[in-house]
Amino acid sequence: MKLLIPVDGSDNALRALKLAIEEAMALRTRPEMLLLNVQWNVAAGNVKLFIDQETINDYYREQGEIALKSAREAVAAAGLTYRYHISIGTPAEAIARYAAEENVDRIVMGRQGQGGLQSLLLGSVANRLLHLTDKPVLLVN
Amino acid sequence: MLEMFSEPQFWAGVFKIIMIDLLLSGDNAVVIALACRNLPEAQRRKGILYGVGGAIGLRVVLTFFAVGLLALPYLKLVGALLLLWIGIKLILPEDDAHAEGNIKAEAHLWGAVKTIIIADFVMSLDNVLGVAAAAHGNVWLLVFGLLVSIPMIAWSSQLVLKLIDRYPWIIYAGGALLGYVAGEMLVTEAALKPVVGTWHALHGLVPILGAVFVLAVGRWLALRKTGTTTVIDLVDKTIPAQIGDKS
Repeated sequence: MKLLIPVDGSDNALRALKLAIEEAMALRTRPEMLLLNVQWNVAAGNVKLFIDQETINDYYREQGEIALKSAREAVAAAGLTYRYHISIGTPAEAIARYAAEENVDRIVMGRQGQGGLQSLLLGSVANRLLHLTDKPVLLVN
Repeated sequence: MLEMFSEPQFWAGVFKIIMIDLLLSGDNAVVIALACRNLPEAQRRKGILYGVGGAIGLRVVLTFFAVGLLALPYLKLVGALLLLWIGIKLILPEDDAHAEGNIKAEAHLWGAVKTIIIADFVMSLDNVLGVAAAAHGNVWLLVFGLLVSIPMIAWSSQLVLKLIDRYPWIIYAGGALLGYVAGEMLVTEAALKPVVGTWHALHGLVPILGAVFVLAVGRWLALRKTGTTTVIDLVDKTIPAQIGDKS
């Protein structure tokens, strides 16, 4: 069994992960835990004219590692084998694509990540994901 | 001066300028931050400070030049053509061919500052030209455009860039807007006055044609580019369970 847990570094994402860990621990055969962080593609257009790809990727990697840090610690503390993955793109699309690629059995995520003006304007990732994926999605409040 | 606030044309100008600033200033801050990435911690703040200062300074200088230069014959024609190109460039998906040729982010302060100044110049030129076209020679609007763009550079907000990624139609709207102001600039070109003067309908028609032109060419060129993936995989690692940690 494969569980995909998209995380953005927010407390809500961590809460969803903790639930996923609890469920995983209850299973006889430990599921595969896939942690995913998606970095928005902010270095597009003009930025690529002046900054080399390596520096841009380093930046995404660093931001991704920061967002994944607490989630990785939580899974490791539970003694579970896990994979982590950093993608660049629009979050909902990237999650749906990764879920299909890895053929995961379930996606577990927070209903809302980082809130505020950002989520108001950009819309809910969870809501959009529901339209894009055919995998079961467990939303945690 | 006060009566201009009651003219709808003035507020249309304000709206256009805010849109242009939002669309053409957001990535300037990202370039500055990324160019300073490889600097030692102590120099990074300095580099960002110089970069932001340079961007603002260049914008002020270019704005004053724009006012003077656009009064010369034929330069509005050149400006309008440039704006059409900027609009098309906005719509085009990123070109990976460029990425290979450019240099690695510099590890020393002056190298980073050099990168930033060149980037600042190119991006400020885009921005100032767009604002100058939308301002129709109104100096207040020009200064307003300048003031709006400064916080965009100083407080790197990636929200606009995320919005563009989430809702791609925004760049089409932006491209159309740039085409429209390019058309507006074109009809006020002194060299074209004999033509525009006799065909009054051109005043309304040319800006719309400009917008349609940018959309059509941008869309056509975008479609010709093949297979640009929207999601890129960066890191994929497997971490085995830590035996003895806690089981």
